[in-house]
Amino acid sequence: MNLKQEFITIQEKETTARVQQSRVQAVRLKDITKKGVRVYSEGKIGISGAVGEASDALLLEQAEQNLSAGIAYPYPLTKDYKDHRNYNEAPLSSKEVLEYAEEVLAVLRNEYPDFSFSEFVASNEINVQIRNSEGLDLVYQDAFFNIQLILKEKATANLFDGGLSYLSRQVDIERFLNFNRGFLEAYRNKVDLPKDRRLPVFTIGTSSINGFLGRALHGERFAKGSSLFSGKLGEKLFSERVTLDLMRDPQCSLRPFFDAEGVVLPNDTLSLIENGKLVRVLTDKKTAQLYDLEHTGAATGAYDDPPTIDGAHGQSLAFRTDSQDVKGVLAGQPGIFAFIFSGGDFTADGSYATPVQISFLFDGERLIGKLPEFTMRSHINKMLGEDYIGTFDNNSLYLGDIPSQLQGYFMDIVK
Amino acid sequence: MYSFPRDLYVDVRVEESFDTQIRFKQLDLQSQKVRKEKGAFIRVFDGQRWYYSSTTNTDDVQAQIDTLAAMANPNPEILSHPLVAAFEVNQETVLQYEKSSVTDVPIQEKQDLLHEIIRQIKDETIVNHSSYYVDNKTIKSFYSSKGAAITYDQQTCGIRVTLDVVAGENKDQVSISKGATSVSELRGYADYLQQEIAKSVAFVRYAQPVVPGEYAVLLSPEATGVFTHESFGHKSESDFMVGDETMRAEWALGKQVGRDLLNIIDDGTITGNGYVPFDDEGTRGRKTEIISGGLLTGRLHSTATSVALEEGLTGNARAVDFQFEPIVRMTTTYIDKGTRPLQDILAEMDQGIYLETLKHGSGMSTFTLAPARAYKIEGGKITDPVKISVVTGDVFSTLLEVDAVSEEFELTSFVGGGCGKMEQFPLPVGFGGPYTRVRKLQVQ
Repeated sequence: MNLKQEFITIQEKETTARVQQSRVQAVRLKDITKKGVRVYSEGKIGISGAVGEASDALLLEQAEQNLSAGIAYPYPLTKDYKDHRNYNEAPLSSKEVLEYAEEVLAVLRNEYPDFSFSEFVASNEINVQIRNSEGLDLVYQDAFFNIQLILKEKATANLFDGGLSYLSRQVDIERFLNFNRGFLEAYRNKVDLPKDRRLPVFTIGTSSINGFLGRALHGERFAKGSSLFSGKLGEKLFSERVTLDLMRDPQCSLRPFFDAEGVVLPNDTLSLIENGKLVRVLTDKKTAQLYDLEHTGAATGAYDDPPTIDGAHGQSLAFRTDSQDVKGVLAGQPGIFAFIFSGGDFTADGSYATPVQISFLFDGERLIGKLPEFTMRSHINKMLGEDYIGTFDNNSLYLGDIPSQLQGYFMDIVK
Repeated sequence: MYSFPRDLYVDVRVEESFDTQIRFKQLDLQSQKVRKEKGAFIRVFDGQRWYYSSTTNTDDVQAQIDTLAAMANPNPEILSHPLVAAFEVNQETVLQYEKSSVTDVPIQEKQDLLHEIIRQIKDETIVNHSSYYVDNKTIKSFYSSKGAAITYDQQTCGIRVTLDVVAGENKDQVSISKGATSVSELRGYADYLQQEIAKSVAFVRYAQPVVPGEYAVLLSPEATGVFTHESFGHKSESDFMVGDETMRAEWALGKQVGRDLLNIIDDGTITGNGYVPFDDEGTRGRKTEIISGGLLTGRLHSTATSVALEEGLTGNARAVDFQFEPIVRMTTTYIDKGTRPLQDILAEMDQGIYLETLKHGSGMSTFTLAPARAYKIEGGKITDPVKISVVTGDVFSTLLEVDAVSEEFELTSFVGGGCGKMEQFPLPVGFGGPYTRVRKLQVQ
């Protein structure tokens, strides 16, 4: 039997300082390895996998046995390509993580006794590899420092009232603290919601929209007619300023630069919506061939799964920055920075509504004061069309050295 | 078994899991895998701080214990520490799935079960469908330096079918799911899944946008379950209350939080997604009455929160898997059944919304329910399907708006998803309840 072999290895190391009531309550160490093996023969794929150390020989044997399931995979393997990247060669030690955690918490306890902070301060290391017998050899290594503290105002009976977030390859505790001093002062300053029924709302990250667009850009759904975008290739969908990329640049995403089939995009990016026009959809090798679509390298799958186009694509999508000056755009008008807006959703036809649990009055540079809860409502076509304000590099809110963006839209406000 | 270091509290949780996953895209097999994992979570406590480690090298747990012990400060008084003194010491083996184990069912039978269900999907509006069968059996063992020695098993299996439906301009992706505790039980749900598929297709075909506003809302048992979990369940998790005087005052035991018809229970002894015969600290699972007759009567605890709040243990310290430490989580949480027939409750509603199935929910100060299938209620009858983005309410006041619960009652079970709390997701939980009427909720 002429077997082709593919090996996937994921190693995750972590030191986490667990925080309760602004103090380190526990230290957690983690070192987990996951290995997956795929074998290919006569147009079929066999898979196996293990958590922990398992010999390649054993996994190969199990993957060969899995060939008998008869799962079709008649597509060429990615081959003859080597790319090893390490985005952070100096991960923090466990001792450093604890020292940073103690330093941050001491300042927060001292300066903000009216708040309590919980969750974690952590250092994460990730090593993802995919290699095959056809000469593919890809390695992504990275390490980052991660502060995720939920914030509780001691005077409220809420489960929590917000949070501090920091994700960075290089640590700058002083800058983190300086930014969050302003952030926490804004928390303390309670302000009223502006009376207008339509307001400019800015968000960091675009996970709700990306999730919706990820489903709409799914190549198979597109081809089968069930996507909102079916039949619209080449058509203008949104504002001319909107460009949406399939983004595999780890600098921005902290994720591997290759997909589950080992495909690397030129410059780690590929536009799907360009100047508002639909130019490509998300495909893996199978979807591209089956439906005669451009292959865009969007395969997903767990370490021990066959590659598939199904899966959550939202995290791999990124809007291109199209605007520069939030304050200038606002031109003195009050804006809202929506910090936590969870639980809402899009309907299938694109209507959107969500409660906004934590938000601030925002002048484009500075958070002025904390707003009461409200609900915002719109439609995908309006948010990225007539009500689209723009996508900006985030120079206002310091969340670490991983690049982030602010995106703004006029939204209907329901109090 | 393990050599526990002196003057420290140590516990070890070993999890050995067996998982099957079979996926189809239409009638083509996409993947078929069996995954066997073994891992351990080790905790060491010196009276001041916890030290945790998770490992997949279960042959070397002793080395992990020794490493963590070297980081800790030995404390000769550790056994009299209030937290350590409170840990239960159970010694028991409870293996209830030995005779109905998913590990004994040939994979071809599991594949055939799923194939038989999807083979019948023929509606012309279903342009594509994907589906999977999954099962999990986990055997957990727990040992502590106080002498606990527990072994028990948990088991679930289920089917999920996702349909791409196109009916003219109306198109949507909808999912149907059913969970069970054995393959033979799951076989009995084939007709149920077909009925759900038909309902979902009809919903996509005919649903129109809702007129946003405030409505009286009738919740199905499934929707009641998510409502209970999100609107109040998380509030009953007492780790949010420790050291927080405002929360303790707001949620003091004895406070009236609902009408006298309202009873909310969390019960780890019910088989299914929330089955926890012992929690991940070795505490025996039990039934906890959180709200009785509208009054707050209990809350959910780990050992640490139980000690801190001076309330009894409840067996609610759960970890999503061996990579995480136990934190306070729900098990199977439900509103208890009432005494009124559904038809009587419905007949009283001139105008409202019926939530039948949900995509997801969340619970902060505002809880949210994102419906999958929802319908208008007009003149005491459930009528036309409506598309709704989100239904919201205030966790502090909504329970007081519950004014009817039916005598019809169902605990639901599903696969795919689960409860998320901070970094630990998805944790299997059970839920359900009666048909429940809430006088007013915001519908968008």
